[in-house]
Amino acid sequence: MNSRGRSTRSAWVWRMAVTAMAALGGLAVATCAPAGQSDGGAFPDRLAQRVAVSAPPGPGPRLEIAKHKYSSPTLTVPAGTTVTWVNRDEDVHTVVSTTLAFKSAGLETDEAYSFKFTTPGVYEYFCTLHPLMTGKVIVK
Amino acid sequence: MTDNSSRVRDIDGPEGSGGDGVDRRGFLQCMAWAGTGLVWTATGGILSSATLRQAAAAGADSAGSFSFVQISDTHIGFKGEANKDALGTFEQAIARIKAIDPAPAFIIHTGDLTHAQKPGAFDTVSEALKGTKAERVFYIPGENDVFADGGKEYLGRFGGPAGTGWQSFDYQGVHFIGLVNVLNYKAGGLGSLGPMQLEWLKKDVEGLASSMPLVVFAHVPLWAVYPKWGWVTDDGGQALSYLKRFGSATVLNGHIHQIMQKVEGNISFHTALSTAFPQPAPGVGEGPGPLKVPVEQLRGVLGVREVSYIQGTSRLAVVDSTLA
Repeated sequence: MNSRGRSTRSAWVWRMAVTAMAALGGLAVATCAPAGQSDGGAFPDRLAQRVAVSAPPGPGPRLEIAKHKYSSPTLTVPAGTTVTWVNRDEDVHTVVSTTLAFKSAGLETDEAYSFKFTTPGVYEYFCTLHPLMTGKVIVK
Repeated sequence: MTDNSSRVRDIDGPEGSGGDGVDRRGFLQCMAWAGTGLVWTATGGILSSATLRQAAAAGADSAGSFSFVQISDTHIGFKGEANKDALGTFEQAIARIKAIDPAPAFIIHTGDLTHAQKPGAFDTVSEALKGTKAERVFYIPGENDVFADGGKEYLGRFGGPAGTGWQSFDYQGVHFIGLVNVLNYKAGGLGSLGPMQLEWLKKDVEGLASSMPLVVFAHVPLWAVYPKWGWVTDDGGQALSYLKRFGSATVLNGHIHQIMQKVEGNISFHTALSTAFPQPAPGVGEGPGPLKVPVEQLRGVLGVREVSYIQGTSRLAVVDSTLA
């Protein structure tokens, strides 16, 4: 089950509903942008501030999508981790597994997508609008 | 409204035509750009361009000639900072097309009708274009039109009888070919036509006399504008190899939201402006995407960049013009 959420208060409410649904039947949950606390300072201050203003907190690591790049092209996480991608471009982007293990909808500016990685493995993904954008999540 | 030389810029890349025998005799003919729509007039098989306004004033009514309009990257549904009123600028473009007298024979939309397949966006575009006096509208998709459902909705509406999206037709002695290069993207890859479409193209042009002028249109440039940003078609070279024997082939693309031209042999390449927002010049800044400019400059920026080449007996030039 895939979904997406806009980083607004109303979307936050909606997100909780979707998350509850996800708990019943799927792995991918809609979530919102990060509070800027778990990006390890990898992003410019400007982005961190935008994040802090526009989004409620959520669990797991957050990746930014900006300037047609995923902020951490290779990310290693323990099994059970929920990873979130937030689009900061005005172009629409997606996060789609090359094996279709997960697939976001088109993410517009400040929209986010999350997926919970439960099984160890290497998950390669890309943007289906801009296929030169690629990334990898290594789940241990 | 035009400036026919001072801002002409040569964009020859590594595969550019500089020094490869392109005949640059003649002059940079002042042909203008209207910012949101370009009128091509074919006279004796040689294409030239003029602004919609000029076309409306002068008319394209000499015997054996006709005009058509290329519109591109309307991105209906876009609400970003780069243009808060993409619908408004689209409607302006439509008004320009409607003002052309005599009306263009047809309109070609070179893709990204919608921004991310927004509900209702296909309707908005097709209804507005139907409202012009053009006899027909031909579409080819951009990635925004097909990514969410693999092209199901787009091809169902605009894919033609075969449902493939690619197509060809003749109009007054000119052969037109629409190609699809935004389906089946692979991770780390580029836009491609694919073997089936290439085979179709090969057969499509096989029986044509080499003297027949060709116009080929597709969304992503068929030539290497800037591969690092994906501004190229992976197997475009093979498609172009089928066109080389023709005396005149004109390739029209969208996708990069700016005007560029290049000539290789008898093939001339032209990328079009968007009606929605500009993008940076290749390699300028960190990446492609909507480029925000001061709102009062937006329409002007839509018509800023230009490249002119003069090819053999064909003369093709583009000169700055704005919507403002």
